[in-house]
Amino acid sequence: MTLRKTLSVAIALATLSGTAAAEGLKFDKADNRFSWDSLSKFEKMDLNGKTIRFDGPWIDGDEANLRTVIAYFEEATGATVEYNGSNDFEQLVLVDMKAGNPPNLAAWPQPGTVSELASQGNLVALSDSVEQAVATNYAAGQSWVDLGTYKGADGKEAMFGLPYNVNLKSLVWYVPENFEEMGYEIPQSMEELIALSDQIVKDGGTPWCIGMESGGATGWVGTDWMEDLMLRTQPPSVYDQWVSNEMPFNDPKVIEVMNTFGQFVLNDDYVDGSSSAVASIFFGDSPKGLFDTPPKCYMHRQASFIPAFFPDQYKETIGTDSDFFYFPSYESKDLGNPVLGGGTLITMMKDSPESQVFMDYLTSPIAHELWMAGQGFLTPHKGAKLEAYSSDTLRKQGEIFLNATTFRFDASDLMPGAIGAGAFWTGMVDFTSGKSAEEVTTDIQKAWDAIK
Amino acid sequence: MSTQSSFLPRFFNGTALTALVILWLVPTLGLFVSSIRDKDQLAASGWWTSFNESKQVTFARTDLPETQQQIDGQFVLSGQLTADDGTVFTNVLAFGSSSRDPEEVPAGETATLKNGAQLTVNSDGSYTYVQDKEITGSRGKRIFFAYGQPPRFTLENYDNVLDKGKIGQAFLNTLAVTIPATVIPVLIAAFAAYAFSWMQFAGREWLFAVVIGLLVVPLQTSLVPLLRLYSDLGQMFGFESKGYPGVWMAHTGFGLPLAIYLMRNYMKSLPGDLIESARVDGASHFQVFTRIILPLSLPALASFTIFQFLWVWNDLLVALVFLGQGEDQIVLTAQLRALLGTRGSNWEVLTSGAFISIILPLLVFFALQRFFVRGLVAGSVKG
Repeated sequence: MTLRKTLSVAIALATLSGTAAAEGLKFDKADNRFSWDSLSKFEKMDLNGKTIRFDGPWIDGDEANLRTVIAYFEEATGATVEYNGSNDFEQLVLVDMKAGNPPNLAAWPQPGTVSELASQGNLVALSDSVEQAVATNYAAGQSWVDLGTYKGADGKEAMFGLPYNVNLKSLVWYVPENFEEMGYEIPQSMEELIALSDQIVKDGGTPWCIGMESGGATGWVGTDWMEDLMLRTQPPSVYDQWVSNEMPFNDPKVIEVMNTFGQFVLNDDYVDGSSSAVASIFFGDSPKGLFDTPPKCYMHRQASFIPAFFPDQYKETIGTDSDFFYFPSYESKDLGNPVLGGGTLITMMKDSPESQVFMDYLTSPIAHELWMAGQGFLTPHKGAKLEAYSSDTLRKQGEIFLNATTFRFDASDLMPGAIGAGAFWTGMVDFTSGKSAEEVTTDIQKAWDAIK
Repeated sequence: MSTQSSFLPRFFNGTALTALVILWLVPTLGLFVSSIRDKDQLAASGWWTSFNESKQVTFARTDLPETQQQIDGQFVLSGQLTADDGTVFTNVLAFGSSSRDPEEVPAGETATLKNGAQLTVNSDGSYTYVQDKEITGSRGKRIFFAYGQPPRFTLENYDNVLDKGKIGQAFLNTLAVTIPATVIPVLIAAFAAYAFSWMQFAGREWLFAVVIGLLVVPLQTSLVPLLRLYSDLGQMFGFESKGYPGVWMAHTGFGLPLAIYLMRNYMKSLPGDLIESARVDGASHFQVFTRIILPLSLPALASFTIFQFLWVWNDLLVALVFLGQGEDQIVLTAQLRALLGTRGSNWEVLTSGAFISIILPLLVFFALQRFFVRGLVAGSVKG
């Protein structure tokens, strides 16, 4: 009977244990774009039969890249890394954790969550060797250590998160041929950028495509704009005070920054589809306007991952059909070249000797290069060879990281979840739909007071 | 009564039914049409526009400047407008000199570009680009134009879903979850329903009330406690807390209250004399159950089977919580979500994914549908 047959298949599947076979080792060990010598340390270890459970947000293409990184670790040590990726990974890990069965390792896109978990005692402090490796090997190492350092349940500060796989936010995407056609130059300062925007309006075009819709996370595009502008109008110390709420959210400085953002987003001439539509345009659809005929807009400010949303024929042709420039800083303000970024922190939720080894592996150059050779990965690791990047575009972005005078992490990700993934997001939606900056910032501050 | 008065209600019933059916079918139809459209068009326009020839504005490149010819002291590039993917444009309506105004000049005429070049594009898509000085640049010049695009459908979305290769495995995984998670509750509920309807024992009504009460417990509230129970038991007896048996048990638990309720009501409506006389003739409860009740309850069993099957098949939450996300455990719904990409950039796969995942439920429904209505009203009207 077919039913019985299917049942027996079902039962056979159910009893299957272990993970799927390791994915192929993509790169040859003679390939000198990679620092294979950093792998040899792990080849001496014998972790046969050991399993590491690792949960993270990467799926599909990103997951395939991560699996390459994992495959070389598995081959070297004999351990098995059971990676589970999901869009709902944050919730699922919390459910697992509350049920007393957390994974060994978890990768968090929001340091705010890491800080909460650390203070509740749900994370294991990372070893000194990991902390040392980050401090010495990452460009601006101490700032990366600080990013992963939080108060534990005992009130003592320790490093809980290893920054791995970062992305760059301060980018403006454009179509070089459209610029050429109209004789536009790449702006070198914020003043020039605003002048260029005005010029485009004068020529009858629309300078910007901005879309903030993103389901439950609608508004994050606006928070990124705010953060970039904050770094360009205020010194980094003010940014840090803003993040920690030492400076209230409705401080005049913040209001000023929000109004600066308003100069762009609330100007119907500046944005495609008028400012009131911004909150309802899907962020992934908004860059498509760059490639329309006639162009719906000439510029799009978005992080390094956005080419994944470009129309198919333009995904692989960055550098010719599309390109990016650094979101410039004000010439009139002497604040250097600040860089805003995001990324994931890898934390240890359940200690085991093999997980410790895997964390060490993630700080080695090879663990970075293997993903650099794929897509969507940038790193501030100084030891990782730039040759490993799969394209000039990524290499250019990687260099922005290595040369940044100031690096700051996405503020909304650093703020407590109720603000950074709540009131701040909705506040940006309110702002684009006409509420004043004073009102919006006061509302956000009220939300912040409520969770203190 | 005259025939006229019975015609009117029937007419209204008919119309209302047809209207409802259409109302329900339109979204499905829209989804289907979307699933066979090109993904970039999907993002640009609604599915109802896809049946007509539509005007599209785009650009194509001339051949590379190095292929230019010198004719009468002028530099000429000519050829056929072709897209990057090899599609030839043959229905050009108008073209323009810049990206700003792609419909400036009707096809067949000549436009003068900003740089002084003369551009002619014919409606068949052939073009000539003439310039006094040498044509420079490393890429072909862009020509902006509008063309009529005939309706175009593609199976690419289906290819994308099936090609990734993991769907087949996920399909099997879902079966491995669904079949036991349907069979087990049906079995238990049938026994329980018999006991509730035809066996006398102390506290029967109370127990039944508790079961009914469980109907309103939202399953979300029990996810974490249940998983903790599994994980504690797992540590005690040394098994993995996430796995198929766990998800079967969870679905069984969540499905049982409704199953017992439905079937108990149905069994209660069976003629009591029949059961009594069988009992008098010396049949045991088990014999009454297997020989009399079970065959008579087939419609109720079938309708609950459909309910439970569809619910488990479409479930995402329970599977996410109680199963791992590895290749040997991920279910179809979770796998389709994973195909979206980390930031949801491949959302068009959902259109075709929906139809792929609907195949089996449709088969089950049509196979069992003759029981469905009978079972649905089971116990609601005493006959």
